[in-house]
Amino acid sequence: MKPVGGTDIISTVEFNHTGELLATGDKGGRVVIFQREPESKNAPHSQGEYDVYSTFQSHEPEFDYLKSLEIEEKINKIKWLPQQNAAHSLLSTNDKTIKLWKITERDKRPEGYNLKDEEGKLKDLSTVTSLQVPVLKPMDLMVEVSPRRVFANGHTYHINSISVNSDCETYMSADDLRINLWHLAITDRSFNIVDIKPANMEDLTEVITASEFHPHHCNLFVYSSSKGSLRLCDMRAAALCDKHSKLFEEPEDPSNRSFFSEIISSVSDVKFSHSGRYMLTRDYLTVKVWDLNMEARPIETYQVHDYLRSKLCSLYENDCIFDKFECAWNGSDSVIMTGAYNNFFRMFDRNTKRDVTLEASRESSKPRAVLKPRRVCVGGKRRRDDISVDSLDFTKKILHTAWHPAENIIAIAATNNLYIFQDKVNSEMH
Amino acid sequence: MEFKLEAHRIVSISLGKIYNSRVQRGGIKLHKNLLVSLVLRSARQVYLSDPCPSLYLAGPAGSRGAAGVGGGPAGGPAPGSSPLKKPRRNSEEQPGGAAAAEEEMETGNVANLISIFGSSFSGLLRKSPGGGREEAEGEESGPEAAEPGQICCDKPVLRDINPWSTAIVAF
Repeated sequence: MKPVGGTDIISTVEFNHTGELLATGDKGGRVVIFQREPESKNAPHSQGEYDVYSTFQSHEPEFDYLKSLEIEEKINKIKWLPQQNAAHSLLSTNDKTIKLWKITERDKRPEGYNLKDEEGKLKDLSTVTSLQVPVLKPMDLMVEVSPRRVFANGHTYHINSISVNSDCETYMSADDLRINLWHLAITDRSFNIVDIKPANMEDLTEVITASEFHPHHCNLFVYSSSKGSLRLCDMRAAALCDKHSKLFEEPEDPSNRSFFSEIISSVSDVKFSHSGRYMLTRDYLTVKVWDLNMEARPIETYQVHDYLRSKLCSLYENDCIFDKFECAWNGSDSVIMTGAYNNFFRMFDRNTKRDVTLEASRESSKPRAVLKPRRVCVGGKRRRDDISVDSLDFTKKILHTAWHPAENIIAIAATNNLYIFQDKVNSEMH
Repeated sequence: MEFKLEAHRIVSISLGKIYNSRVQRGGIKLHKNLLVSLVLRSARQVYLSDPCPSLYLAGPAGSRGAAGVGGGPAGGPAPGSSPLKKPRRNSEEQPGGAAAAEEEMETGNVANLISIFGSSFSGLLRKSPGGGREEAEGEESGPEAAEPGQICCDKPVLRDINPWSTAIVAF
C-alpha cells in the first residue's frame, strides 16, 4: 500500500495490458508512469511494488483565439496501446487534442567511437592511429518519452473518452456530440462515425458521456448518453453509426422522480467486461451490469450510496451532483468497483452479492496494513466507527479507479494522492 | 406552497450556475449546462403549476419584453422559439430550455425568469441600463454577482426591469 503525493489533482488512472505499468494523468497536463518492481527473493516484503518510472508533460494550456476560449491542459483519459515491440505506447488526451507517446528504455550506450571522444567532441585526427569497433556498455537506465503523433482539430466539443480498437490500428475519440475514428498512423484526418448534434442546438436533449470499443469484436462499440441509455453500434452496418444496433435503456421508476432525476440517470462511465459479454455503467447513485443480449434492463443493479438520494438538492447546490465517477471490473469479471465520497470506494462481488466499503487514507495505507471495512449509517442504530451521512466529506471524492488486468491490485486516485492496494493473501482470483 | 419555494430556490441556483459557467476556465461545459437547463425547466414547470399565488408581482408586461432582450419579440417569445438566445454564437452554444405555453407571468424567456426569481443577483442590479447586445456582451460581472440560493422574500416588487434586460443578454 503506498500513497504517492502530487501537486496536482489526478484526473485519470490506467493499467497497461499486462499490469506492469500504471499511468496517471493530472490536471496540470502531466503524465506519471509507475512500473511494478519484479519480485525479488532478497526483499520479499517489497515484492511487486510500483515505483515511478517516468514523468512527462503531455499537454500544455492553450488558447483558442477564434472563440476566445482557454483549452485546459487537464488529461481526461489515457489509454495504453497493446505492446508490439520493446517500446510502450499510450494515448493521452485533453479536451481537444490526443497525443500518441512512445516510451523507450535505454540501458546501454555505445563507447569507443573513432572520430568522437567520450564527450562527443571531434578528435584530432592525428591522434587516431587505429580503428576500433564501438561497443555497447551498460549505463543507468534512462526512460525516454517522445510524442509520436498529435491528433488535433478533430473535435469541436470537449473530448470525454478515447478507446483503442482490438485491431490495434484504429482508435476512437468521443466528445459531447460526436465520435471520430482515427488511424494511429494518420493525424490529418479522421472519420466521423457518430453525430448526434441536432440541426438546431436548441433542440439538444442529450449528449454523449462515454464510449468504448468492444474488447474482441473490432466492429462493435458502445456509447452512453446523459439520458442514461447505452447504444451498441456496428461499424459494418453503415459508415455513419447514428442508427444503433442495440439500445439499452431502463425505464425510469416514477416513484423516484424529482427535479434531479435526469442528472442522476446520466451515465458517467461505461466499461465492457473482459469477456466482452457484459457492460458496466455508473450513474450518480448506482452501478449496473448489462448483458449484451438484453436491452430492456440491466441484469444487476448495485446501490453505491443511496443515502444521498434525499440530499440531491444540496448536492446540486454544491455541484457534487455533476461528479463523474468511473467504474472498473476485476480481471475475472466477478467483482466490480467504483468510488464515492469521503475517500470511500466500494466493491461488489457479483457471485456472493456481498459488498464492501473501503477508505483510501493515510492511516489505512501503512505498508501491509489491512483495510478495514467502513460503514455509513443512515440513522437508526449506529455502531462504533460508523460515519454518519452528514459528516461525509464531499470534497474528498474518488472519481478514478483502476484494477490490474490479472491480479488483485487496485489503483485509487484520491484527489492528488494515488493509492495502490494489493491483496497479497488472495492473489489468485475467484 | 413549499413546492413553489423549493422550485424558486432551484431556479435561482440554476441561473447562477449557467451564469458562472461562462467565466469558467476551459469554456462552457455543454453536458453540465444541458443538465442545468433540464433542472431549470422542471423547476419552472413546478413553480407555474403550483396553484399558490406568486411570490413576486409581475411587472407590466410591456416593459419586460422591451429593452434589448435577446431574441424574442416584445412581450414574450413566440411559441416554439428559443428562450435562451446567445449573443455570441460560437459552436459551443448553450441548449435552450423549451419555451412552453405562455403563462401570465411570462416566464418563457430567461430575462423574465431572472426578473422574477433572480433578486439574489444583486450584483447585476447595480449595472446601469445599457444599450443593445454589444454592450452587454462586454459585461463580465464575474463570480461576485451571483449568490444563488438566497431567497429575498422581503423584496416583493421588482425594482428595476431595465438593468436585468441588458445583463441577461450576457447569457
